[in-house]
Amino acid sequence: MAGYLAVVNQLIASATARIPNAVLYGENINTGSHLCGMTRNLTVPPGGRILNVGNCEPTHCGLGFGLMLSGLTSVLFMKQLDFTVLGMDHLISTYHVIRAHRRLDAMGSFTICVIVCDQGFQGPQSSFNALGDLCSQARVPGYTLTNQQDAAHVLERQLNAPGFRFVALSQRLFPTECLMPDLVYASEDSSVFQYSTGEEATIACFNFSLPEGLALQATLLARGVTSSLFSVNHVPAHDWGKITQSAAQTRRLIVMDDSKSGYSPAYELLHEVTRACPGARGVAVTRGAEVDFGVSPEAFQVDADAICSQLGVGKAAAGLRASLSVAR
Amino acid sequence: MARELPDNTRQLAFEVLRLRYWQLLLNEDLKKKRFAIPIHLAIGHEAIAVAAHTAMEPLDQLVLTHRNVAYHMARAGALEPIADEYALAPTGASGGRLGSMNLVNPARGVMYASSILGNNLPVACGLALGQQVQQRGGCVIVLTGDGAMEEGPFYESLVFAQSHHVPLLIMVENNNCSMASTIEQRRCPIAINRLCEAVGMPFLPLEGNEVMAYTAALRRMCATARQGQPACLEVAVTTFNQHAGPTPGWPTDPKRISLDNGLIVEPSVNDPVFVLQQQLGVPRFDALAEDVIAQRRLEPTVVG
Repeated sequence: MAGYLAVVNQLIASATARIPNAVLYGENINTGSHLCGMTRNLTVPPGGRILNVGNCEPTHCGLGFGLMLSGLTSVLFMKQLDFTVLGMDHLISTYHVIRAHRRLDAMGSFTICVIVCDQGFQGPQSSFNALGDLCSQARVPGYTLTNQQDAAHVLERQLNAPGFRFVALSQRLFPTECLMPDLVYASEDSSVFQYSTGEEATIACFNFSLPEGLALQATLLARGVTSSLFSVNHVPAHDWGKITQSAAQTRRLIVMDDSKSGYSPAYELLHEVTRACPGARGVAVTRGAEVDFGVSPEAFQVDADAICSQLGVGKAAAGLRASLSVAR
Repeated sequence: MARELPDNTRQLAFEVLRLRYWQLLLNEDLKKKRFAIPIHLAIGHEAIAVAAHTAMEPLDQLVLTHRNVAYHMARAGALEPIADEYALAPTGASGGRLGSMNLVNPARGVMYASSILGNNLPVACGLALGQQVQQRGGCVIVLTGDGAMEEGPFYESLVFAQSHHVPLLIMVENNNCSMASTIEQRRCPIAINRLCEAVGMPFLPLEGNEVMAYTAALRRMCATARQGQPACLEVAVTTFNQHAGPTPGWPTDPKRISLDNGLIVEPSVNDPVFVLQQQLGVPRFDALAEDVIAQRRLEPTVVG
C-alpha cells in the first residue's frame, strides 16, 4: 500500500501537468527535498512554468492574485502553514478587492498548496495547524487532504477552478500509509465526504482529524455501535445536510477537530444539530482550552470511554481507553 | 493660436489641462460634501499621469495606488464615470461598487488599485508574469510612492521582477509625503538608484513636470520593460491638495484651491500646469484652456 505523501504527490503532479499555461511556483519546489517530497515529479504544464522563487512570501501571495487577474491558473506551494501568515495582506485584502470586481468567473485560478507542520517537532513558531482559521478571515475555501479519496476529489476539481483556495497536507501523515476508506458520498464542492453509514452514532471530523475518526469508528464498532463517518472541509456556504440528516437518525453526534484554534466550526455543526434535533446528544472532541505550543508530539487524544459514556452507547470496557492518534 | 502646435504636443497639453480642470471640479464637489467616501485628489500629478497614459500601448496594463484619480481620468478620457463612482452611483465606472481607492477599469487596462501601501507591487508582478506566460507583448506599469516604497514588498518586487525578467515598470511618485509626514520626519533618505543598481535594474529619475519630456521617457522605459527588462523610475511630484479630506498637520487646505483662480495652482516648476504655460506661452495656453473648459467631453467615455 502506498504512503500518504507518495499518493498525494502523484495526484498533485498528475493534476497540475494537465493545466494549460499553469504557473507552479514556490521556494525550493524543484530542488533539494522538493518541499519534503510534496512537489517531486512536477512537470511543466503545456505553455506554463515551474518557478523556483526566492524567499518573499508576501510577494508570492500577491503574485498569485496578479496571475488570477491575467486569467491564468497558478499553484503556490508552501512548506509550512505558518509561512502563509506573512501574506495575510493579500490573502484577505487583495482577494476582497478582486472579488468585488464584476466578473470573478472570468478570472483565473489560484491555489496555495501548503504543508501543515502538525507532527509537533518543529517548535512553537511552526505549530499553527488550523486551516479553517486562515480560511475564515476572508471566507476562502480550504481543503485538508486526509486520504486518497478526498485528495483525488479535491485536486481533480479545485486546482483549475476559478477563484482562490487553500489545499493542505498533514506532515504527521507523511510517513503513514495512505488511508483509502470506502466513499459513500462526496459533495461536488468537496466540502463534505461520507465514509460509512451507521445507525447509532454520527461522527464528523474537521481539519485533519479523520484518521482519529476512523479509529474511533472502529472502536465503537468493536463495542457494537455502528456509526456514520464524515469528514468536513472549510467551504463557505457549505451544505451540512447529509450530516444533520444522519444525526437526526442516530440522535448522537460526535464532532472532532484536531486544530489548535480557539474557535472550531465543529461547534457550529454541533449547535446546528442540537437545535434541529431536540434531545439529540452531542460530544465535541477538541484539544480543549489548554494547548501545548511547545515542542511535543501532536497526539490528539480521543477518549472512547468518555465518548461512549456521554452518548449512552457501548459499554466502557476496562483498558479500552485508547490513544487513537495516528501511528507515526 | 493653439492650432500652431504639433498635434501630439497639443494633445498632451490638452490632456494635462483637462486633468487639472476635472480635478478642480472634483475639488469643488468635495467642498460641497458630495462624496461620502475618501477621495485622494492628485492636483499636481497631471504631467506624469498623462505621460503614463500616453506611453501605454493597447496590451499594456496599469496598476494603481489609492491616489489614482488622475490616471483613471486619463485612461477613461472622461470625468463622469469617475465622479459617479465616487458618488457610488450605478453609472460609476464600476457601478459604484469599488469607490475610489480600489477602482479599476479593465477595459482600459487598469487592472488593480490598492489602498494598502506596497500591496499592489506583488499583484503587478503577477500581472507581468501573466504577460510573459501568455506572450502578450505588453508591459505592466505599477504606481507606488515614497511612502509605499518603505514597505517590504517594494524590495521583494524588485528582486522578483529582475530575477524572472518580467515586463514591469515600477513608477515611484515621490511627493515627499506619507499622509502628513515628510520623508525627513519619518525615515532616512533612500537612494532608489542604488537599490536598483544592487539588483541590476535600470533606473531613471524624472523631475521638472514637463509632460513632453516625461512622455518620451516613459515610452523608452515601457519599451525596455516590454523586452523583459524590468525598470524603475522615480518622479518628483508636488501634491497640492490634502491627503484625503481634513488631515491634522497637513499644511494645505484644498478649500483654498478654487476653480475661480484658474487652472494654475502655484506659479512654480512644481506645478505642471504652470510649466505648460511657460512652454506654450500665455496666448496659446489660454486658448487651450478655453478649449478644455468648452469641451469637457472631447473623447467618448470608455469604461469597464
